[in-house]
Amino acid sequence: MALDLGSVIQIWLAALFTIWIYSIAFRDNVFFKFAEHTFVGVAAGHGIVYGVDNVLRYGWVPFLKGGVFYVVVFLLGFLLYSRYHKKYFWVSRFPLAIMVGIGLGLSMRATVTAEFIAQIQSTATMKVLGVDAWTGFSNLLFIIIVLTVVYFFIFTFPSMHAGKLGIISRIARYGMMAAFGYSFANTVLSRFNMIFGRLDFLMSSWLPLPGAMVALPIVLILLAYAMIPTQKRPWPKPAQSK
Amino acid sequence: MSLFVRRQIPIALVFVAAVLVMADYFLKIPGTGPAVVDLQNWGIILSAFALGFGAVNLFYLHTRHISRRTAGQWPFSIWILVMIVVTAVIGVAMGPTGPHYSWWYNATYFALSATVYSSLGFYMTTGCYRALRARNVEAALLLVVGAIALLRNAPAIAVGVPIIIPMEAWLSAIPTTSAQRGIMIGAALGAIALGVRTMIGRETGFLGRLTEAERRGGT
Amino acid sequence: MSKGKGFWARLEDVPREVLYAILLIVFIIPMLNPMGFPVPISDAARKWYATIDALPAGSAIMIDFGYSGGGEPELGPMAAAVYHHIFKKGGLKPITMSTSVDGTLLWDKVIAEVNPEKYGRKYGVDYIHIGFISGTEIAMAAVGSDLRKTTSTDYHGASLDQFPIMQGIKDASSFKLLICYTTGGDQSEGWVRQWYTPYKIPYLCSVIAMMVPTMLPYQKAGQIVSLLAGAQSGEMELLVGMPGRGIKSADVITLTHLLVFAFVVLGNIAYYGRKASERARGG
Repeated sequence: MALDLGSVIQIWLAALFTIWIYSIAFRDNVFFKFAEHTFVGVAAGHGIVYGVDNVLRYGWVPFLKGGVFYVVVFLLGFLLYSRYHKKYFWVSRFPLAIMVGIGLGLSMRATVTAEFIAQIQSTATMKVLGVDAWTGFSNLLFIIIVLTVVYFFIFTFPSMHAGKLGIISRIARYGMMAAFGYSFANTVLSRFNMIFGRLDFLMSSWLPLPGAMVALPIVLILLAYAMIPTQKRPWPKPAQSK
Repeated sequence: MSLFVRRQIPIALVFVAAVLVMADYFLKIPGTGPAVVDLQNWGIILSAFALGFGAVNLFYLHTRHISRRTAGQWPFSIWILVMIVVTAVIGVAMGPTGPHYSWWYNATYFALSATVYSSLGFYMTTGCYRALRARNVEAALLLVVGAIALLRNAPAIAVGVPIIIPMEAWLSAIPTTSAQRGIMIGAALGAIALGVRTMIGRETGFLGRLTEAERRGGT
Repeated sequence: MSKGKGFWARLEDVPREVLYAILLIVFIIPMLNPMGFPVPISDAARKWYATIDALPAGSAIMIDFGYSGGGEPELGPMAAAVYHHIFKKGGLKPITMSTSVDGTLLWDKVIAEVNPEKYGRKYGVDYIHIGFISGTEIAMAAVGSDLRKTTSTDYHGASLDQFPIMQGIKDASSFKLLICYTTGGDQSEGWVRQWYTPYKIPYLCSVIAMMVPTMLPYQKAGQIVSLLAGAQSGEMELLVGMPGRGIKSADVITLTHLLVFAFVVLGNIAYYGRKASERARGG
C-alpha cells in the first residue's frame, strides 16, 4: 500500500530517533544527545498540551455552563506556579494542600481495606490442614513468608534481628530473593518485548521504504564516527582553550 | 499571624480535604457526597495545571544554560526549548486529538519513549552476564528462581519442557506472591502512618521551601 | 605476577559491544526467518477470555488506556486482541478513558489496528473514548462516583448525550467490568482502591511483565479476576483467533530468553573458573 509523504517522513523521523537512542548502549554521542533532548522537550510540551486540554475540558466548559465556583479553581491552579516566585512562593502551598488532602483521603480510605485487611484476610484463610500435603506445605510456607517479611520491615531495630530472632529475617530475605528473581525474569521479558517492538518497526515499516536500506549503513557509519572521542576525531576540532 | 497563614492554614486544608473525602466514604454523611464529587473535580483541574511544571522547570534550567553559554550544552538547551514550544503550539492550536498532533506525536514522542524504555534491555543483558553471580545462598536463590521463570517466559521452552510450567506457577503463587504481599502490607502501614502524620501536620515535606520565619523559628 | 589476563578473566570481561551484537543477531534472525514456535495458553489468559465471554448483552465495560508509549509494544497488542474479542462477541459497551497523557493517542493506534468497522461497529454506538482525565486516582474516584458530572464530552469534545452508548451510564455501578492496561502502579493499584474496593466491579488487569509480581497479591486476594502481562498478548490473540504482533514476538522471545539464560550460566562459569584459577595460582 503506497504511503503518503507525511507518513513517510513520520516513519523516517521515528526510525532515526530509534537508532540514535539505541546508540547510547555503545557510547555517548552527539546524535544520542540530540534525540534525548528532543524527547525531553517533546515530553514537556506534551504535558502542556494535555494540561491545557484538561483545564479547558473539565474547568472552562463547566464554568461556561454556569459553574461560577470554577473561578476559584482556576485561581488556585495559577497560584500553583507562584512556587517560582522568590518572595511569594508560599502561596503555592494552598492549592498544593488541597491536592495533597484529596489524594491522601482517596488513597487512605481504600488502602486500609485493599492493601491491609483484604491481604491479611486472604492470608488468614489459607488452609494448612484438611488439604493434601503439598498444598498444606505451600500454604504454610506462604503464611510464614508473609509474616517474616512484615516483621522484617516493621521491626528495624538491630536487636529485633539478633540471636535466635535472626532466623526470621533470614527466611524473609530468602522469600524476597525468590520474589526478586521472579521480577528479574519478568523484567527481561518486558524489556525484550519492547526491543522487539522497535526492531519490528524498523524492519517492517522503515527498511521497506525507498532509500532506507542505503541510509542505514550511512547512519551507522556516522554514529560510529560520532562515538570517536573528540580529541581523536579529525573533524570537528575541539574548541582551543585560550 | 504570618506563620499561621503560611503554614497552619495549608496543613488545615490538607486535614479538612482528607477528612471530608474519608468521611463521605466511611460515614456516608448526607450532603458530603456532592461536595466530595466537586472536590474531586477540582482535584482533576489542579492536577491538569500541574502538568505544566515539567516545562516550566526546563525553561528555568535551560535558559540559564543558554545565557551562560554552558560548553557542550547550550545548543541542546535551545533545541529543548524549541521542542517544548513547537509541541505545545501544535497541540494547543490544532487540538491534541487532531491529525497534526497525532502525526507529531508518532514521529517524535512515541518513537523516543518506546525506544528509551526498551534501551534498558541492553544494560540488563550486560548485567545478566557480568553481575548476576551465585555468590551466596540468597544470590543463588535469586538466580535459580529467575532462571526457571526465564525459561517459562520463553514460550517454546515451556511447551518443550512442560515441567517448567507448574514449577513457575508454584514460584509465582507461593514465594513471590507471599513476599510481595508482605512488602505490600508493610508499605500500606507506612502509607497510613505517613498519611496520618501529614494530616496532623507532623510531616510537612509537601510545604516545600521554608520561609525566612520558618527557618528562624524551626519546624 | 601474571603478564596478561587468563582465559577465565577474559571470558568474564567480554566487551559489552560483543554481547549487544550477539543479542541483536539473536533478535534479528527469527524476525527474518520466523520459526513458528508454539505458544502455550495460560490459565490466566483463559480466565480473562471467559470473563468477557460470560458478560450478558448490554454490559458496559470501563477500559482504561493507562499506558505510555514505552509500554505500547507489550500492551498495544493485548488491547487490540481484547477489542477484537469484544467486537466479535458483540452486544457489549466498551467505554474507554485514559489516566495516562498518552492514552488517547495510543487508543487511536489500537483502534486503527483493530478496524471496528469490519465488525460493523460504529463509534458512539458500539465503542467510545471519553478522554484523558488527569489526577490518576482522583480521576478514577470522580468517574466512579459521578461520571457525567466529571466529564460531559468525549475525547474529541463532542457532547456525550448524543452518543447512544452513553445512555444510562452515570457512575461505577453502571459498569459490569473494568479493564486496565497500564505501565504505572498508580493506575493498576489505583483501580483496586477506587473501583474494586468501594463498588466491587470485577477487574481485569494487564500490565507490563515487570509489574506482574507487584500485582500478584491483589489477584490472590480476589481483587483482580485475571492478571496478564502484556507480553502474553500472543495467548489472547490465539484465543480470539486473530494472530498479530503478540504471536509475532514469540519466536524472538524464546531465542532471546535462551540467550540470556546462557549468558547467566556462562557468566557464572567464568566467575567461578577465574576464582578457581586465582586460588590455584595463589595456593
